[in-house]
Amino acid sequence: MSLEEKTDRQSLDPETQRRFEALALPHLGHLYRLAVRLQRSAQDAEDLVQETYVKALRAFPALRDPERIRPWLCQILSRLVYDDHRTEPREVAVGDLAELDRFSLYDLIDQEDPFPYSDQLHRDFLARFDDGEVRRALLALPEAYRVPLVLLYVEELSYKELADALGCPVGTIMSRLHRGRKILERELWECAKQRGIVRTR
Amino acid sequence: MKLTCEQAVKQFFAYLDRALSGEEFADLEAHLAACLDCCDKLSFSRELDAFVKRHLPDNPVPAALEARVRRALERAQGT
Repeated sequence: MSLEEKTDRQSLDPETQRRFEALALPHLGHLYRLAVRLQRSAQDAEDLVQETYVKALRAFPALRDPERIRPWLCQILSRLVYDDHRTEPREVAVGDLAELDRFSLYDLIDQEDPFPYSDQLHRDFLARFDDGEVRRALLALPEAYRVPLVLLYVEELSYKELADALGCPVGTIMSRLHRGRKILERELWECAKQRGIVRTR
Repeated sequence: MKLTCEQAVKQFFAYLDRALSGEEFADLEAHLAACLDCCDKLSFSRELDAFVKRHLPDNPVPAALEARVRRALERAQGT
């Protein structure tokens, strides 16, 4: 039986719980912001934060370094999302992987040249998207890609730290970050086509 | 140049994420020093990362969330 399973079945003494709350609750805002970036709705984000704290309380006796409580809480939260979706998403969700790896938003903008008089074509292309469109593009990523990418952007973790946090090999992290960004590029291109920023092919 | 453009492009994300070192890092730097097209592509990848980061949602923390979490912790201890 793991330490986490052991502690799952026992109530902590009131002093330990108070200590946990004093150490962990100041990070509520940080965890909520991370949760909002990983989940599809604000309600889902609140549920995830609550689940994270309950799980963390039960595992708290196993935390060796209380100074590292924030990354530890972020890891628990991320794993709650990632572990349900850790296998390679079905092909239907992301399309042909070889084709995805070759996808280049830069080249497509170059070829399409939607703003012929622009001297900063690619920057002008990005400037056409608003917060909601970027958020929808990000949410189009299956969790197996979105979780490592958001952690990279928000927590600025190294590949090794991401691999440790999500419990997978560094090679998997590298490939998920690569493909996650490619899916994001593809979604922005599709959005541009739908909005008529570029001609539909 | 040791790397072709196709090989260089495949390394861009690892380069931006500071995950390249040693020979891989040196080979890519050498390629970039000699290939303007790859420099432009790398700049765009860097800009796209910064662009997505700027647009990540940043909702204010709901006022009632801390009380909700405290109640959940109490319940968890009671069970």
